Amino acid sequence: MNASASLATAPRRYVIIGNGVAGNQAAELLRERDPECQVTIITNSRLLFYNRYLLPQLFKGHQSWHAFLANPPEYYVNKRIKVLRDCRVVGVDTRNKQVKLAHNEPVSYDALLVATGGRGHLPEELVECRHLFHHFGTYEAALAMRKALPEKGTVVMLGGDMIGLDLARTLLSIECRVVLVTHESTFWPHQLAPGERADALAALEKMGIELIDGDARGGVTSVEAGAPGLPGRRVIFRQGGDVYGDVVMPFYGLTPLVEFMVGSGTDIERGLLVNTGLRTSDPHVYAAGDVCQIWSEQDHAYRFYYGYKNVRAMGAVAAINMTGGHEHFATTQEETLGRDGQGHIDSPFWAYE
Amino acid sequence: MNATDIQIAICGSAGDGTIAAGDILRNAVAAAGYRVICFDVYPPEIRGFGKCISRLRITTEQSYSLKRQSDVLVSLDDSHAIPHAGEVRDNGAVIFESQSIAQCGEGEHMSGHVLPGQIPYGFPMRELAQKATGGARSRNLVVLGYIAGLLGLAPTSFQRIIEKKFAKQGPAVVSRNQAGFQAGFDAGAGTFKLDDVAFGPFEKPASAGKVIMLSGNAAVVQGCLDAELDTFFGYPITPATTIMERLASELPKRGRRLLQTECEISAIAATIGAGFAGSRTATATSGPGLALMAEMLGLATMTETPCVVFVSQRGGPSTGMPTKTEQSDLNAALYGSPGDAQRIVIAPTNVEGCYRCAGKAFEMAERYQTPVIVLLDLYLSNRYETVTLSESGSPFVLDANKPLRRLEPGEAYQRYALTPDGISPRAVPGDANCMHVVTGLEHNELGRPNDSAEMHTAMSRKRHDKLLGALEHPDFTVTKRFGDTGKVKVGILAWGSTFGECLEAMFMAQAEGIRCAAMKVVMLSPFPEKAISAFMDDCDAVLVPEVNYEGQFAQLVQGVLARPVVRLSRVPSSPMPVELILGEIRRLSGVNA
Repeated sequence: MNASASLATAPRRYVIIGNGVAGNQAAELLRERDPECQVTIITNSRLLFYNRYLLPQLFKGHQSWHAFLANPPEYYVNKRIKVLRDCRVVGVDTRNKQVKLAHNEPVSYDALLVATGGRGHLPEELVECRHLFHHFGTYEAALAMRKALPEKGTVVMLGGDMIGLDLARTLLSIECRVVLVTHESTFWPHQLAPGERADALAALEKMGIELIDGDARGGVTSVEAGAPGLPGRRVIFRQGGDVYGDVVMPFYGLTPLVEFMVGSGTDIERGLLVNTGLRTSDPHVYAAGDVCQIWSEQDHAYRFYYGYKNVRAMGAVAAINMTGGHEHFATTQEETLGRDGQGHIDSPFWAYE
Repeated sequence: MNATDIQIAICGSAGDGTIAAGDILRNAVAAAGYRVICFDVYPPEIRGFGKCISRLRITTEQSYSLKRQSDVLVSLDDSHAIPHAGEVRDNGAVIFESQSIAQCGEGEHMSGHVLPGQIPYGFPMRELAQKATGGARSRNLVVLGYIAGLLGLAPTSFQRIIEKKFAKQGPAVVSRNQAGFQAGFDAGAGTFKLDDVAFGPFEKPASAGKVIMLSGNAAVVQGCLDAELDTFFGYPITPATTIMERLASELPKRGRRLLQTECEISAIAATIGAGFAGSRTATATSGPGLALMAEMLGLATMTETPCVVFVSQRGGPSTGMPTKTEQSDLNAALYGSPGDAQRIVIAPTNVEGCYRCAGKAFEMAERYQTPVIVLLDLYLSNRYETVTLSESGSPFVLDANKPLRRLEPGEAYQRYALTPDGISPRAVPGDANCMHVVTGLEHNELGRPNDSAEMHTAMSRKRHDKLLGALEHPDFTVTKRFGDTGKVKVGILAWGSTFGECLEAMFMAQAEGIRCAAMKVVMLSPFPEKAISAFMDDCDAVLVPEVNYEGQFAQLVQGVLARPVVRLSRVPSSPMPVELILGEIRRLSGVNA
């Protein structure tokens, strides 16, 4: 066999950066659509793909991380999906079609999917206090927060996006005290009209969440470690006053994780800009999930689409198009903040399979 | 109490400090009271090439071999460690460098080889070493700290061992290595632990003696010293060299002598000469050296001169594989001299056995006036174990070297007198009234040359029969049976270092409900015919696992007893895998896994 024949028959190399819903949905479809291909997922997590939506269940009795895995380890062996865990991507060389890892290893691709999602946004003024916050975005962070929270302890939530409010429901059910310092990001990614917001806030109070009007206090200016004999954290407001909690958690929405793509030549605004086929400005690079802004013909603008359904659909569309398909992403995700039978808020973003 | 049973493998390149890291780790956990078995694999090259692996099994209860699967693998060099990633069990930990400074080829980093069921722990070991010590050389100490921090081991025993190990190099070196360890410890303790490798709660048991960590060769040396070895003559050869190295520092402290000769032939010749002169004496070598000693060993047999030869086997023939273990010198040990040159051959099965066999070898050599070969192998020589030694003085008979009786003036001395048990009165040069001739020629009772058929037959019988007494040598385990009593489906007959693996396999088979037993055979010559035959009577099938290609022990058993055995002869360049033995036990017992 000559070299050109060998290249012609070489299996295509699909690389996925990100180990969440979009990335794993894409990996599964890539394997289905191209049985001979190489599929590689790169993640900075030590764990295989697990269901972050289930993390609040940590409060319903301790569960090992095994219980959260979406698929058993054998799944990756059987599907021949290689997962590079505990690896940090530091750059993408689109000219040579290589992902650069922090340990100085290149990973070559024929088609790349960026599905890194987002990290919790932190307002600039709070960045220097970040070591005092607890988070809930990963199993490790969630478990650390659970360990830090005493029985019937107090959680101060700053912002209060829908990820935080989902956790708040669980915390209330185990008789924790939840204090919410409202912010413009409260209810993110729902975008509520002023009247709707007031109703929704009232619903939160009805659920048992204590509200502090963050705007009226001039916003949070800093967080301190609590003094001996007091709860672990103190939140200080710009216009005076404070509130104590055992843990303080920021829930100001998500910021796309795209830093490593800077310099790759692909178009970036806040997230990676993609067309409705989820292709970026580079023909070999696709993006899916919370990391990308998709062109909307209707709005004549790039916009984010959130929620499990959207993210999963994006993973599928990207995989189809990476393997030669011509699919377009169209959202089927309901985005209206609703109420349940008890008058409590109920978000379609809380629904997952 | 949850019993601890953790195996850690540290893999790197020669010069990475892999073996040194294993050494500190095994000493630290042993000092904490755990039982340890450790085996280092290293390349024949001195530095800068080749793979080094230090594997340690840490347990609360006695174990008998390494496990096939490790619980933790540490990579100090991915190019060497990657092929071993698959040896880590599910939910075990794989620890590697996360920030290499050198460009890494695609697919050449450990992260791409961690299996889905394993837990990866990448951390910047080089960077931490650099920050803590000003250089990357202490990476191995950083890694040790990381292991201790991650697994929740107290740092104090490590710190003590590090201090002791580097004390000779001065306080600055000690302090640098302590800093490296501490940096790694902090990183490990701060890492979110996802694996399920855990040290169980442990109370240090009250010991019946002194518990110390020894390699097989170190145990041989300790046995020699406790048996009051007078002289040693040797020529270095892997894997026996460390016996001579240790004795070279220990014997002079006791006013005794060691001479490095110019070759193995000189070494055995000097050893025989010393034995003739009444010195408690020994040499040590490996297969190629044993070949050179073959002719002189015949002289020792013929002259009935006590001497001890420690033979640590390695892969052969010829130069073979100097740093790989094998059990293929059995035939050479048993038969490797011209003529009917039978001698005593004993083979310890673990490190404690190395100690006992070393000391007992001198008793036997002197009591039966014959060369004794103690057959070790690289796996046993280099393997470290925690062993319990008596604190109540030497357990060995120290006066076996004395002449058997003193003659009266005028009484004729017959150095080779034909006695009922074949053992003649031994005299050493200078003993009054005991002048006699010593020669390699066949001789009569006075030692004078005699080649008559009757005398040759009588002397051949004498040299053969006197050894049979060794089968009942006091306080010596010739054979020992383990496992189920009475009739069993499968009996395992094993010798040397492979017996540990056999015992582990037997326990696993018993746990699966298979009736089985194992017999260790320590004395290979004279052959313990009755004991082995009785054992075989109880077994539906007899399995003989050994690390050689031709099944040398199986041939010996079949040759003597004319009974069938199932051979499991492999040359994997490493110890016999427990699972391989277990698979054979299952097959022979009709049980499918």
